[in-house]
Amino acid sequence: MASPAPILAARGVSKAFFGNPVLRDVSIALMPGRVHALLGENGAGKSTLINLLSGALRPDSGAIEIDGKAVSRHSPADARRAGIAVVQQELSLTASLSIAENIGLGAYPRRFGLVDYPALAARAKAACDLVGLNEPLSTPVGELSLGRRQMVEIAKALYRKPRVLILDEPTSSLSSTETRILTALLEKLRGEGIAILYISHRLDEVMQLCQHVTVLKDGACTADRALEGVNAAGLVRLMVGRDPGDLFPRWDSTRMDRTAVAVRKLSAGLMRDVDLDVRAGEVVGIGGLVGQGQEDLLLGLYGAIPAKVASATIHGVSGLPGNVPEANERGLAYVPADRKREGLHLIHPIVTNLMLPSFARMPALKLRSRAKERETAMGLALQFAIKGDLGRAAQALSGGNQQKVALAKWMPLNPSVLLLNDPTRGVDVETKREIYAMLRGFAAAGKAVVLLSSDTPELVHLCDRVAVVRDGRIVTLLERGELSEEAIVAAAMGAERERQAA
Amino acid sequence: MSIRDAGLLSRSRILAVVTSRPFLTFAIVALVWIVASFVSRGFGAYGHLRYLVELAAVIGLVAAGQTFVVIAGGIDLSVAAIVTVAAVGLPLFAIDADPTGLTPILAVLAMTTAIGLVNGLGVALLRVHPMIMTLAMATFLQGLLIIIAGGSAVTASNPLVTWVGNARPFGVPAGILVWVVVSVVVLVVMHATPFGARLFAMGAGPLAAKLSGVPIARTTMAVYGISGFMAGLAGILVLGMNGQGYVGIGDPYLLASIAAVVLGGTSILGGLGTYAGSIPGAILLVTITALITVVNASPGWRSILFGTLILALLLLSGREAARR
Repeated sequence: MASPAPILAARGVSKAFFGNPVLRDVSIALMPGRVHALLGENGAGKSTLINLLSGALRPDSGAIEIDGKAVSRHSPADARRAGIAVVQQELSLTASLSIAENIGLGAYPRRFGLVDYPALAARAKAACDLVGLNEPLSTPVGELSLGRRQMVEIAKALYRKPRVLILDEPTSSLSSTETRILTALLEKLRGEGIAILYISHRLDEVMQLCQHVTVLKDGACTADRALEGVNAAGLVRLMVGRDPGDLFPRWDSTRMDRTAVAVRKLSAGLMRDVDLDVRAGEVVGIGGLVGQGQEDLLLGLYGAIPAKVASATIHGVSGLPGNVPEANERGLAYVPADRKREGLHLIHPIVTNLMLPSFARMPALKLRSRAKERETAMGLALQFAIKGDLGRAAQALSGGNQQKVALAKWMPLNPSVLLLNDPTRGVDVETKREIYAMLRGFAAAGKAVVLLSSDTPELVHLCDRVAVVRDGRIVTLLERGELSEEAIVAAAMGAERERQAA
Repeated sequence: MSIRDAGLLSRSRILAVVTSRPFLTFAIVALVWIVASFVSRGFGAYGHLRYLVELAAVIGLVAAGQTFVVIAGGIDLSVAAIVTVAAVGLPLFAIDADPTGLTPILAVLAMTTAIGLVNGLGVALLRVHPMIMTLAMATFLQGLLIIIAGGSAVTASNPLVTWVGNARPFGVPAGILVWVVVSVVVLVVMHATPFGARLFAMGAGPLAAKLSGVPIARTTMAVYGISGFMAGLAGILVLGMNGQGYVGIGDPYLLASIAAVVLGGTSILGGLGTYAGSIPGAILLVTITALITVVNASPGWRSILFGTLILALLLLSGREAARR
């Protein structure tokens, strides 16, 4: 251990929920001026450890220490007073309040008992400048894209001038520019002596940014060491407990001559005049910075938002679907990015979630057969390796398993075109590998796959072609031979090709 | 699966039924009945209990439609007005050519269903909030009633309506029989058809339901149409039981229908619940009303007591867990 006392530490903490141990004898020490990575698959116990550190949960045994002294009571309020700020994976912002109000929420500067708005604006502005938020401070947060909201969340943590900053997957919804700003910011904060705990599924970021790493596997600590001399493959092995092999499946062209989707001059939402052809058996990637209109392209094709086209052909039938049932009828399926709100019904059992698209297509008053539904669901669970009791509510599943449910539920309809919106966001490495293999499998089975992704390596390794979107238009269409992370990022950023490559 | 496992499974299943809200509500009804029959002579008599269930049938019918709407994530505040429209409107449809009295009943049911469909149209296509849409509809209907009925009571001369309100085939009031049949159909539609599954999905997450291919507009209209139909059926039953229809006859059934749904454990936020809970919920409401009538209190105090008891019951039988 280094000489100065850790600002915040856990010593041999254990925690169990309903008799299931989630953390067993885990220790972690956050040192001033160090970025500490916390790695582990979904369900490894990372969130529980964060909750213990932030006082949201109390350990069953073991102790939390602040500045080297064990604290007997550690509530969220105590943690805030001790300068511990947490940026949660689940955004905690209020959509109808402005950026400034959200940032200051709970710690408004006051004057004569009222909110001192000028002071709030000044302090919020300072926090926004740090994270590169240049939107007007009075903008309601609900109008921002997911990535910008994440930046507000980070600014909110900085507003409190923390000594310890805990970031739970901060980059999962950020564009590469925003990620770069964040990286620079964290470097700066580190220099100011702040202790940072950084949770991410993106290993390259971790390797670049962090100095120390703690790896959790099934609630136990499998590594607590300096990052120097460790490579990404080694980290994955510590998390998964076996050799990672290659994350991506081998790429073979399975493209057919048959055109699945062809649109000319499609305009929907932010997208303007898009020409796109997707053939059966290929994976077409949609890349670009977050919030350039990519999602509208998928939703427009899916009939979920109003769209206009000069001409459109889907499986030889002309015209776009006018609504979602019609899109399903014509073989289209859509897997949303926000699986909690758009992809699943978390309060409902996994079985009904898996059966919903089928229910939507069946005759309305036909009698259901629970036995048959169970059988179908079990088959899907087996095929997609969904772990969990199918009768339980979907919220009991880990993020990765939820995502697999959101994908699996379409299979009974046997869709021929899959529209996927960031299917691996916030998903652990092992599930990512499974999903990647499935996507190539779908293509090999003759389905057309449109993969919208904020994860550039994914686009490079999985796609036959990648359409890069900027400002609501497809600016570049990269063929397989030209695909590289540099090429995609350069196209996404416009003319900055040289600077990007450097 | 070993025998031990099977034993555990069936025990956990029994436990799940016993701790379910419909069962608990039934248990509360039984408890109240037993206690009340000791305290007040005559309360526990078969005839009195049968009368309570007969009264509950009207609430139960309205609550059937309300349960559909609430599970699908909406609320229908026009049910009381629709009950009145049916009760007051039925004599207007009297046709001499049909001695059975079936035609006017069908006409009234078609009319109330159409009113419900208009509610659904407003909610689904014009995107008016369900509370606003149905409240506006209620106000509209009340105005219409005053113009048409002009404040005077109408007498039921329809033989079928009189039969439904008074006959007792096999010793069971016809109203209860209607309720039983409706309950079976409602439970089947709700829990054993794709239509029912779509409602739960819509209530739990309209956006996820839409993106999963659920035809939102059509389903919403169907749900409010069902609510209109059920309220119409209740109006016909209440007219038969009362012998007379008048403006305001349906008023008690708005709060009663919502209270029965919530007492039965259906989430007012939508997406969770069952009509199996609304049934004992309706009986419980009637029982409470009867108990309060036994206590000699002024109408003002009765109302206060009624409201307090409902709140207390809801607190007792568990408030809704927070959900994100």
